[in-house]
Amino acid sequence: MADGIEVAKVGDIADGEGLKVSRIRTGTLDDIAVFNDGGAFFALDDTCSHEEASLSQGWVEDGTVECPLHAACFSLKDGAVLSLPATKGVAAHRVEIVGDAIVVHPAADRLA
Amino acid sequence: MSLAPGGRVVVIGGGLAGVSLAEALRAGGHGGPIAIVDREPAFTDRPPLSKAAFVDDAPIEELALLTPDRIAELGIDARHGRNAVALDAAARTVELDDGTVLPADAIVLATGGRARRLAFPGGDSPLVHTLRTYADARAIRAAAAPGARILVVGAGLIGAELASSLRAVGADVVLVDPHPVPLVPAVGGRIAGILHAMHAAHGVDVRVGGIAALEDGEHAGQADAPSRPLASRPGSADGARTPGQEDERPPLRSPGSAPVPAPGRRATAVLNDGGRIEVDAVVLGVGILPGTELAEAAGLEVDDGIVVDARFRTSVAGVYAIGDVARPRAVDGSLPRRDEHWEAARLDGEALAAILLGQEPAPRGAGWWWSDRYGVHVEGVGRMDGDGEIVLREPVDAGGGYPVAFLLAGGRLAGAVSIDEPNAVRAARRLIDQGVPVTATLLADPSSSLRDLLRAAR
Ligand SMILES: Cc1cc2nc3c(=O)[nH]c(=O)nc-3n(C[C@H](O)[C@H](O)[C@H](O)COP(=O)(O)OP(=O)(O)OC[C@H]3O[C@@H](n4cnc5c(N)ncnc54)[C@H](O)[C@@H]3O)c2cc1C
Ligand code: FES
Repeated sequence: MADGIEVAKVGDIADGEGLKVSRIRTGTLDDIAVFNDGGAFFALDDTCSHEEASLSQGWVEDGTVECPLHAACFSLKDGAVLSLPATKGVAAHRVEIVGDAIVVHPAADRLA
Repeated sequence: MSLAPGGRVVVIGGGLAGVSLAEALRAGGHGGPIAIVDREPAFTDRPPLSKAAFVDDAPIEELALLTPDRIAELGIDARHGRNAVALDAAARTVELDDGTVLPADAIVLATGGRARRLAFPGGDSPLVHTLRTYADARAIRAAAAPGARILVVGAGLIGAELASSLRAVGADVVLVDPHPVPLVPAVGGRIAGILHAMHAAHGVDVRVGGIAALEDGEHAGQADAPSRPLASRPGSADGARTPGQEDERPPLRSPGSAPVPAPGRRATAVLNDGGRIEVDAVVLGVGILPGTELAEAAGLEVDDGIVVDARFRTSVAGVYAIGDVARPRAVDGSLPRRDEHWEAARLDGEALAAILLGQEPAPRGAGWWWSDRYGVHVEGVGRMDGDGEIVLREPVDAGGGYPVAFLLAGGRLAGAVSIDEPNAVRAARRLIDQGVPVTATLLADPSSSLRDLLRAAR
């Protein structure tokens, strides 16, 4: 993917927080959650693979996000599931910082 | 004792505790045989049974803790649909109901519990349900056609969630509990009051008391007909009955004024204040009895649960117990209550795996749980009763949101409960586990960040 989508400025997402970006803007199957974990930015599909929950509202720590509902844990790097009750991972998207812009490159297989 | 590399592990019970143990053993490199015996058709997760899976009438596959592929990948000998009928602790074997005898180096009892029933006239009727298994949930769902009226007895976590899910599928719900506001010890008075009020706000008929009897529908309302408990369910000898906590006086009838049953209602439930309610089904949500039968028969120490030490060892070498059924003895020799929460079962399984592999298990923090009902998410950590002071953090926006409740003891957090504010509890959990000093003023101030407190402590 050549062009990414600028979703926010670096200062818009505080350390330990997530931001939900609508699928209408990203053109993807699911909304995308963008996280700031200690100054590093990551993007995952927003909907937990267990039930309906927005991972952008989760607890972000040490390279992982904990689902706000039942605390299933996902790796921020690749979306892999690290603990029950979820049994499947979520898709990860590449993030690039261009100046002070957070640019997300949606995974090709998650485009709508 | 740690397990030899090729050591054989037989796990009785494929709920969360047993499955977590098996997964963690494999993740930790154990290559020996692992068998899991479970009487149910799949290794199922239970929380969704009173929530989304109930409302959606989800197939059992959606509740499976392990897919068939994953079972194969892990190399687990999965004995679904089989009952373990005997445990020979000395010979270290487990016998199944098909006669198979499984020899083991380590036997793990992860038998969970079964729903407690109450003794009352008519209590054996097929219209009286409990909720522990997938089959239980299906049976209740089948009884809960739109317009059906269901009496839920017990407004604890499962009773409350089920009342919400029954409303969601269009059933009429009457909810009865002996406490005017249930769950105060678990969540504190303020949150308990908010949660209990949600039932009435969602059209549930909320009563205080218990069930005294269930009478046959066709006799209900006939003043001269003798009270007749519903026929006992054939072969319902599902073990020992515990006497109900409910008042068991005979049903009160007031000749001439008894209500006429709505057409089609299948029975009359009599409450212990004499109130009569025409119902189609009754669900008891009054707690569980730990699955200790095998352990007792094998001569293990049992006291409302299988008694274990901090390393999950029962009173007999080579036999362990984890999850809802285990009752760990505290360092001072006392026996605290069993933990009956989901995460504790998972962590037990993972910790025992580490122990069997000869590693130190991860330190265990304060217990964490959740409950979902009426579209809100409740979660809690630690304790909300006993020593200490309850501190409330009111929502920033007075019109919306819910307070977060904390228990502050000796300048440290001991517990927290929130509604739709999970990150407050996630932060509290870490503050508790790290023993970070906190003050009532900080906790009560909605503009102070709990996360900043944690960062400052790092
Ligand atoms: C409806 C419901 C909703 C819940 N919701 C929540 C929630 O929202 N949050 C929360 O924190 N906790 C919740 N819980 C509690 C949580 O599910 C339990 O703590 C957890 O399931 C305990 O796991 P376990 O493996 O110890 O026991 P179980 O899940 O009970 O598993 C034990 C297994 O052993 C099998 N078994 C027992 N004896 C034998 C035998 N002799 N032979 C063969 N098999 C046997 C049983 O069939 C069963 O599958 C809920 C429980 C229920 C029932
Ligand atoms: S919805 Fe995410 S863990 Fe349940």
